[in-house]
Amino acid sequence: MKLLLKNSAKILVFSLSIMLIVGSTTSCKSKKKLAREKAAAEYEMKVNQAKNDLNAMLNGTTNWSLDEQEQRLDVIRSYNIDDPEVIDLISKVEAKISMDRAEAERLAEEDRLKREEEERRMKDASKYEKIDTELAAISTSTTIDAANRKITLSMDQFASPDVPVLIIISQAGGFNDYDRPTTISKFLNYLKDKQEYRYKVESVKRDGLGKITELELIKK
Amino acid sequence: MKLAYLWIAILLSGIGFQATAQDDLSPERKQAVDSLALEKVRDLSKYISIIGSKETPWSEANRVIDRAEELFMPDSEIGVSSINNPEDINYFNVRKYFERLMRLNYKKVEIEWYNIEYMSDLQKQPDGTYVGVITIFQKFKGYDAEGRLVYQDTTKKDITVFVKRKETQIGGRLIGFWDVLLGDMRVKETSK
Repeated sequence: MKLLLKNSAKILVFSLSIMLIVGSTTSCKSKKKLAREKAAAEYEMKVNQAKNDLNAMLNGTTNWSLDEQEQRLDVIRSYNIDDPEVIDLISKVEAKISMDRAEAERLAEEDRLKREEEERRMKDASKYEKIDTELAAISTSTTIDAANRKITLSMDQFASPDVPVLIIISQAGGFNDYDRPTTISKFLNYLKDKQEYRYKVESVKRDGLGKITELELIKK
Repeated sequence: MKLAYLWIAILLSGIGFQATAQDDLSPERKQAVDSLALEKVRDLSKYISIIGSKETPWSEANRVIDRAEELFMPDSEIGVSSINNPEDINYFNVRKYFERLMRLNYKKVEIEWYNIEYMSDLQKQPDGTYVGVITIFQKFKGYDAEGRLVYQDTTKKDITVFVKRKETQIGGRLIGFWDVLLGDMRVKETSK
């Protein structure tokens, strides 16, 4: 009886051990499987997110800046996703970003040139504003004497009374059409007679002393 | 040798084409030339009123006569009529007309031009000159020493306009310009 009891205990311990070993092995196996499944799901999610982001960048439906798009592309590249669609999308987005950057640079350059041109135009306009104002003042003189005084004062800035005055009547096809050239002396008197100044100084040539040697006007 | 002639021919036709391209007017350029010719007639209107005004100093009037004369082709004539005998129209050389205008026997003279417009548009002639006719209406008023209006008339006048493209060298640059010259100014109607 005693022996039977002793053997039963042994069998029980053995059975329990077996059960424990089997149980622990099964539990370990399911944990790994779960982990694998979790990793696979995460990867799948990453691939889908990458595809979504890449498509959005390709179709221009994202609000990201070019720098932000490049950062996101770097992150997607770092995943080393082995999916033909993602690989194809990455190469397309790379090309698009490169094109967009070139276009952005072109537009920036265009803007810069426009700003420079505008600044130059403003500078030129203000550069000749004084001459325009003086010429206009002659035309608005209320008496002949007042106009003559202004003509004498204005004449001082010209190299001679015979300085040529060119008047552009139209600009087309890369060349100017002019009125018959006149001299500054005749032109200033013309302004006095006509009592109107409907021109704008286009260009001025000066000699070494700073005196005007040629005046080019454009009809407004 | 034949090739050399061919090159010369191509070169000459190129120069010819360039000259033609400059002379042939796009609508925008034609409009600019039309406006220029009208402007010259308006200049003449201003000059006539300055020359005729008794308030214009003699030296100024003579200077303006010189400028006004430059607007005309050589030997051009200006017609003069009177309301008292409208059919009797006298034609004077441009300079003589202005000198007579300056010496008119009134204490005060007012001359106003209005309705200045093309009667016939500028048309290109075989020699490249553009010719047109501009019509103007002139209202003339003469006052005596007491400030009474003693004479007035309104005349319709036709002015022939010649426009030709010319070139000149200025400061080493070849400048292409449109030379507008006025021809005869004919009296068409005279009324009170």
